[in-house]
Amino acid sequence: MDFMLTKQHEMARTLFKEFAEKEVKPLAQEVDETEVFPRGTVEKMAKAGFLGIPVPKEYGGQGCDPLTYAMCVEELSKVCGTTGVIVSAHTSLCCDPIMTYGTEEQKQKYLVPLAKGEKIGAFGLTEPGAGTDAQGQQTKAVLDGDEWVLNGSKIFITNGKEADVYVIFAVTDVVTDAKGRSKKMISAFIVEKGTPGFTFGTKEKKMGIRGSSTYELIFTDCRIPKENLLGKEGKGFGIAMHTLDGGRIGIASQALGLAEGALERTIEYVKERKQFGRAIGAFQNTQFQLADMATKVQAAQLLVYKAAVAKATQKVYSVEAAMAKLYAAEVAMEVTTKAVQLHGGYGYIREYDVERMMRDAKITEIYEGTSEVQRMVISGSLLK
Amino acid sequence: MNIQDYKGVFVFAQQVDNVLSGIALELVGKGKDLAKDLNTEVTAVLVGSDVKGLADELAEYGADKVIVVDDPELKEYRTEPYAHALSSVIDEFKPEIFLVGATAIGRDLGPRVSARIHTGLTADCTQLDIGDFPINPVPGKEQLHNQLLMTRPAFGGNTIATIACPDFRPQMATVRPGVMQKAPKEAGKKAVVVEFNPGFTPNDKYVEILEVVKAVSDVADIMDAKILVSGGRGVGSPENFKILEDLAEVLGGTVSCSRAVVDAGWKPKDLQVGQTGKTVRPNVYFAIGISGAIQHVAGMEEADVIIAINKDETAPIFEVADYGIVGDLNKIVPALTEKLKAELAAK
Repeated sequence: MDFMLTKQHEMARTLFKEFAEKEVKPLAQEVDETEVFPRGTVEKMAKAGFLGIPVPKEYGGQGCDPLTYAMCVEELSKVCGTTGVIVSAHTSLCCDPIMTYGTEEQKQKYLVPLAKGEKIGAFGLTEPGAGTDAQGQQTKAVLDGDEWVLNGSKIFITNGKEADVYVIFAVTDVVTDAKGRSKKMISAFIVEKGTPGFTFGTKEKKMGIRGSSTYELIFTDCRIPKENLLGKEGKGFGIAMHTLDGGRIGIASQALGLAEGALERTIEYVKERKQFGRAIGAFQNTQFQLADMATKVQAAQLLVYKAAVAKATQKVYSVEAAMAKLYAAEVAMEVTTKAVQLHGGYGYIREYDVERMMRDAKITEIYEGTSEVQRMVISGSLLK
Repeated sequence: MNIQDYKGVFVFAQQVDNVLSGIALELVGKGKDLAKDLNTEVTAVLVGSDVKGLADELAEYGADKVIVVDDPELKEYRTEPYAHALSSVIDEFKPEIFLVGATAIGRDLGPRVSARIHTGLTADCTQLDIGDFPINPVPGKEQLHNQLLMTRPAFGGNTIATIACPDFRPQMATVRPGVMQKAPKEAGKKAVVVEFNPGFTPNDKYVEILEVVKAVSDVADIMDAKILVSGGRGVGSPENFKILEDLAEVLGGTVSCSRAVVDAGWKPKDLQVGQTGKTVRPNVYFAIGISGAIQHVAGMEEADVIIAINKDETAPIFEVADYGIVGDLNKIVPALTEKLKAELAAK
């Protein structure tokens, strides 16, 4: 048991922090107001190596551990929730499954440019009728000669339209199990932007993470090469679930960063703001609120880091990831809400950062598996 | 009141601007059926100013007799003189049954008349039969025959009530337009025309009409449409909505769409059906090239009849559709339009 970060981790954190303060923070408000994907920041992050942190060096990445990657998302999210999720979706949901399930050819072709940040990645699982119930897929893929033909659509895809490489899930077969129930066989595919028959639909207008590009993907007789099947045919559901285990650590890191950022801002604010002739930090209510917030943030951080370490050291880490995401997201929601309160009327004004953090925090309880899904995962393992 | 004195089926023949409303002919048609069961005649009551010329049209659709109340005071519909006209006709001619269309005019007029002559009125009926009351004999209670059994949906269509009016006459009902059938037209047929004027003396209940405004809307409100021809992304292009418009035109329906179509910029947002659009309850809903995600279905599942056309047999729309065709909408929709055109022309 060791709660000390290594020297490398400390150095990495310093690097992320400096980048976030210098490059991300000044743009955070504008990105939120304009709802424009921060392309320039993404290019700078690519140069700095932030888009391939846990990918081995031989595939163009940094060869760091999942904890380093979690800290990167955390530090970025302290100043901008949008930037945090761009890195998280790209790394956890697109690089990771190709790294884990891809063939050598697929890794060379797709993982290398993704890890170098030359290309951006995204993950297409959700459909209008298949959110939490991911088995309810309607998108189909049919093998025609040496090409797969995709038909269907996906919604709420983070990095949609901005990304070049997409990991897409589709039904390739329906089988009847021993009990006579029909079961959809789902497979995973790598689809490139620009493939004929692959277009983008609605851009969603969101409450928070407004600079994150959330699009509908549409597949109309979209033909992709046979070799773009990722992993084994019919094994897509397992690939999706395993990928989401990792992704949840990324989102937990984003939630943690949002909570820490809001707490930092609030501590500064209550020292400066005066009422009744003294700083509002001198009032015991403020002090106790901050004590609760800081304690919860610390607890969330330990859960998140534990899950990140588990990803590096354990074969299965679903429960650790689910607990980290569940708790960090709920802490983010609570802490950002309290941060707005402690700012008083100013906290409700868009010139101050905390209202944005509160809007950004809510999504962490919903995407990459709602809090309820996390509770299903956790309780399922308890009652095995 | 002596119930035996009341005979015959009367219908109010609504006219506006000296043109008979469709409901007038529907009521004559229904009245004829009821009169046949009672072995009596159907009489149309025509109220207005210079409206005698409309009597022949009522005769051609089955009226045996037309009572005309003609007076300058009746030029435009007003509650008081019209209620006076009908009440006077009822007092004079003593019909057994009196039907009024459940239009804006009829819903105003029916209750006034029934209160004035002290009888029962059932509103917005969708079915009328001649039968026994109580329908099933009750021990110790006399079962009356040849009663008008008036059936209407109540509580927003969630229950169906059958109502009778055994002790008072006439048995009055307002009838929902579009439910009853006109009788086939018999050209040249004449009816007995009786002119009756009870006299009209303006009093303080006579309202003064300042202006009549006829609304013309260019965009039909999809929430009012009885037939909706709705297209989704599967329609493929804004130009291709032409085939849906053709179908809608033949059926007298309106075109609506799914969110995907609005997002693609093919149709305006006020035609969108679904959770973030409008909730519609038409009699018939065509879902053409719409996959049927719950976000859309939530806005149209209350339609009486849902017809789905989609090339994907596993599309969720088929779970809510009453009728479905798996196939290419570009072939099916025009073929359907042609067939319907021929079918309707034959009627």
